Amino acid sequence: MWEHVVSWASRSNVRQLVLCCAVVAGVMCASLTTRAAEPTSGLAADPAVDPVIGDERAVTYHPDHAQVAALPVDQAIGIGRHLFEARFTRLDGVGRPAATQSEIPTRRVPGNFPPFFRTSGPEANSCRGCHNQPSVGGAGDFVANVFVSDGISDADFDSLDPQFSNERGTVAINGAGFVELLAREMTRELQAQRQAGLQQARTTGKSQRVALTSKGVSFGFVTLDPDGFVDIREIQGVDHDLVIRPFSQKGVFSSLRQFTINALNAHHGMQADERYGAQWTGTPDFDGDGKAKEISTGDVTALVLFQASLPTPVRRLPAAPVLRAAVATGKQVFAEVGCPTCHRTSLPLTSSIFAEPNPLNTAGTLRPSETARPALLQLDRSGFEKNAAGQILVPLFSDLKRHRIADEDHPYFANELLGQRFVGRDVFITPRLWGVGDTAPYGHRGDLTTLREAILQHGGEAASARKAFEGRPRADRNAVIEFLKHLRLPTGSAS
Amino acid sequence: MSRLSIVLFLLTVVSGTAVGATPPRMIEETAGSGISHQYTGGWAFFVGGGVAVFDCNADGYPDVFLAGGSSASALYVNASSRGGVLSFRQSTDPVTDMTDVTGAYPLDIDGDGQMDIAVLRQGKNVLLRGRGGCRFARANDDWTFDGGKAWTTGMSATWESDQRWPTLAVGNYVDRSKPGSPWGTCHDNSLFRPNAAGTGFAVRHRLTPGYCSLSVLFSDWNRSGIPDLRISNDRQYYKGGQEQLWVVAPGKAPRLRTVQEGWQKLKIWGMGIATRDLTGDGYPEYFLTSMGDNKLRTLAKGAGRPTYKDMARQVGVTAHRPFIGTDVLPSTAWHAQFEDVNNDGFVDLFVAKGNVEAMKDFASADPNNLLLGGADGRFAEAADVAGLASTEKARGAAVVDFNLDGLPDVLVVNRRANVQIWRNVGRGTADHVVPMGNWIGLQIQQPGDPNRNAVGAWIEVRSGTRTQRTEIVVGGGHASGQAGWHHFGVGVAERLTVRIQWPDGEWSPWLRLFANQFARISRGNTEARLWLPSQQAGGQ
Repeated sequence: MWEHVVSWASRSNVRQLVLCCAVVAGVMCASLTTRAAEPTSGLAADPAVDPVIGDERAVTYHPDHAQVAALPVDQAIGIGRHLFEARFTRLDGVGRPAATQSEIPTRRVPGNFPPFFRTSGPEANSCRGCHNQPSVGGAGDFVANVFVSDGISDADFDSLDPQFSNERGTVAINGAGFVELLAREMTRELQAQRQAGLQQARTTGKSQRVALTSKGVSFGFVTLDPDGFVDIREIQGVDHDLVIRPFSQKGVFSSLRQFTINALNAHHGMQADERYGAQWTGTPDFDGDGKAKEISTGDVTALVLFQASLPTPVRRLPAAPVLRAAVATGKQVFAEVGCPTCHRTSLPLTSSIFAEPNPLNTAGTLRPSETARPALLQLDRSGFEKNAAGQILVPLFSDLKRHRIADEDHPYFANELLGQRFVGRDVFITPRLWGVGDTAPYGHRGDLTTLREAILQHGGEAASARKAFEGRPRADRNAVIEFLKHLRLPTGSAS
Repeated sequence: MSRLSIVLFLLTVVSGTAVGATPPRMIEETAGSGISHQYTGGWAFFVGGGVAVFDCNADGYPDVFLAGGSSASALYVNASSRGGVLSFRQSTDPVTDMTDVTGAYPLDIDGDGQMDIAVLRQGKNVLLRGRGGCRFARANDDWTFDGGKAWTTGMSATWESDQRWPTLAVGNYVDRSKPGSPWGTCHDNSLFRPNAAGTGFAVRHRLTPGYCSLSVLFSDWNRSGIPDLRISNDRQYYKGGQEQLWVVAPGKAPRLRTVQEGWQKLKIWGMGIATRDLTGDGYPEYFLTSMGDNKLRTLAKGAGRPTYKDMARQVGVTAHRPFIGTDVLPSTAWHAQFEDVNNDGFVDLFVAKGNVEAMKDFASADPNNLLLGGADGRFAEAADVAGLASTEKARGAAVVDFNLDGLPDVLVVNRRANVQIWRNVGRGTADHVVPMGNWIGLQIQQPGDPNRNAVGAWIEVRSGTRTQRTEIVVGGGHASGQAGWHHFGVGVAERLTVRIQWPDGEWSPWLRLFANQFARISRGNTEARLWLPSQQAGGQ
């Protein structure tokens, strides 16, 4: 069809072409406007407009970022909750017959694609469909696993074979607001250290080897030459641009917004205009489903605020005294065997004000320079301790650093065949253990039903800690399990 | 295919617009830039008016050498702050302040790591050796270079295999000394190959016939590994002339491509050459500026034959007359350059325009063009929206990121009017820059090789399913050239992979880079080296 139209257009007289297209366009527009029961514009009217009888859209109001930023934050979060729980329909723009799951707008090769495609998406009706344990925004059962592939070079067969995708468990989003703030601060610190080293190199005329450390976590070294060139070969656990990317199992996404836009497209075929809109793709309906402007900037902002505001994981001591005592013992053993080398008990955070959008966002993910004002959210830090400097100690049990977690003796966690975003197959970001008592099953594939199995599969950089754990008496090992079990997710989704 | 998509497609075909291409905002900062310079003179300086852009003091910020015509040429050192207003200070020196200069090209001739300048003149051409710190010395004698005395308007360079010195092609215009000048009295062009001793250049080799060239370019049109020399000629003065393609094979005398080989006669008022692989087939297209409709040449029968067809009308780059105002006469186009000014991943085309002087049959109010490339492969005019539609008599130009903020800026040399310079502020304002797409700036080097800057290499930048390709060249444009960071816009891609096909054909591995930074790719290294600009030009 495309080829015929193009060849006909190239041969026709221009005036005839204009006339014909005007007629066709008129017919098309007329047919569209008569179908009032199925609005096709992604920018539906605000709630003040009379409802449409028989309307099966899940979302009828698509504000822009400025509108959401101007709302009381509770109201903005409410919009985000609605979007998170919405079961999108075709009328909302579900589906992407012409586009792949890629984070870069990418055309699908021609072929037959059912509306739902379990392995390369769309494969979910709502965010909540997977993120629901123990409540909205939580983790997911093994049945809610996703199959991650880049949508660029990977073939989208409906196959579970790991050569086509990486199978991943659904993680809990609770506490993500604090995680993103930590990542921003750590990025700023690392880049400031690099810049200071560069300044020193230029001043002294000598290369400077700078230790990269943030919040007590070492990220290796970087060497700065006086002429401005940077030797990145000693950088560890972070990308060479020194941006901490805390989201996804491999730690490859820098912001909730970036992840949300990717997920909306991949899992629902709902394309955010700021990434898939005409300014980047040349068409307002890149996924070819007949719906333009499916997700607005305000939609994404609201979703981010909702996710960032999800209550943080808690500690819930068991009732039985013997188990409480075991928790205390387990906390001590956890530290003694070296788990906090990576699973840092807490990381200090200077500011708990979440400003959206993230200053580290790049093109295709709304940036602060593209907005008149940020949306601001004061995260609930009640219950968190503070250090002597007045910083909030976020008890996430992670260093937000990537590590090689498998080796020849313990290859279990190197099960994937596809790298992701420049990160090798056996490298993952340290999972955040806060809430781990409620996020079974375990492992990045979610195929380990017990915490003990997950611990015993640690290899690579974690081998020494695992060996130390294995060498402890059974009582100590059980105590560690009790300690981890008491790290719980909240049962509600309102902070 | 949805009905909405069909309608959108048809509207795109009808409107001829590149749907979705967003123009950047260009703020003219001529008055405060510190550059006060005009290209002046009589008939001998109706053509030319070029600019060489390169870093002469190793701070990474591009500096500028401007032709002056009857006025002295001038060297301006970049004094901008990173991301800030564009600022330059003149560096006066008798060596760089010459009269009768028509254009200039930067290149490292002697392979010492310092950029040199090939200065084109109405008269004796001069090679200036870079000494660092934006200081230069005349090197004609040391390098045994015969500057001649022709009216020179174009220059290109290539490094032939196993040679430590480049081969220079010099394009000459009208021979004013011949009887009957200027009609049918075009000067021969010249080829300078390295001498046998490896210390400079051999005697000049005439490239006959000459057809009043205004732009020359060594380019590997068929990816054979051996660039041919394309010469664009001004039909205004030649008789029996045409566009030319010379085979310059190592160790052999140069010869012209023939009709039998597939080279077809094309007669234009050839002013400038720009090149980029636009179709993604791995072979370069060539945009030829002219009077009236400009040409966009693409291979018609594959890489086996130098047969070209024109696609300018198909993609909307004829730019044949003023797109604003009431002037309906044909345009006169000079310098052209492909560059992604909005970083959307689709390369754009800047064309400098202006009447030759007072040619009444051609547009007098002739604005520059900024043709934005779109996802559909077409280009759409945006110079007026961007703020670049000046109607001064533009000649040479450069589209370069002068303040290293990832947004390419524009400098235009005008005849009998001040040089104009615009700062790209993206979608923002002079006080609040709003970046557009993601980008990468690349420096390509062959350490230890006399061709240090890898002239003749191909850069491939892959993001998503798209691969952008460009050839590293010295030459083309209109009397204007640049050396330094190779800029690519990559749209919404946060990561990209890059590889290089070095001049000898060897491929580098794919190197991984994040967007929005500068990086050096050195032959033999498996990782790129990042580069961090100083906050101020000058290093601190």
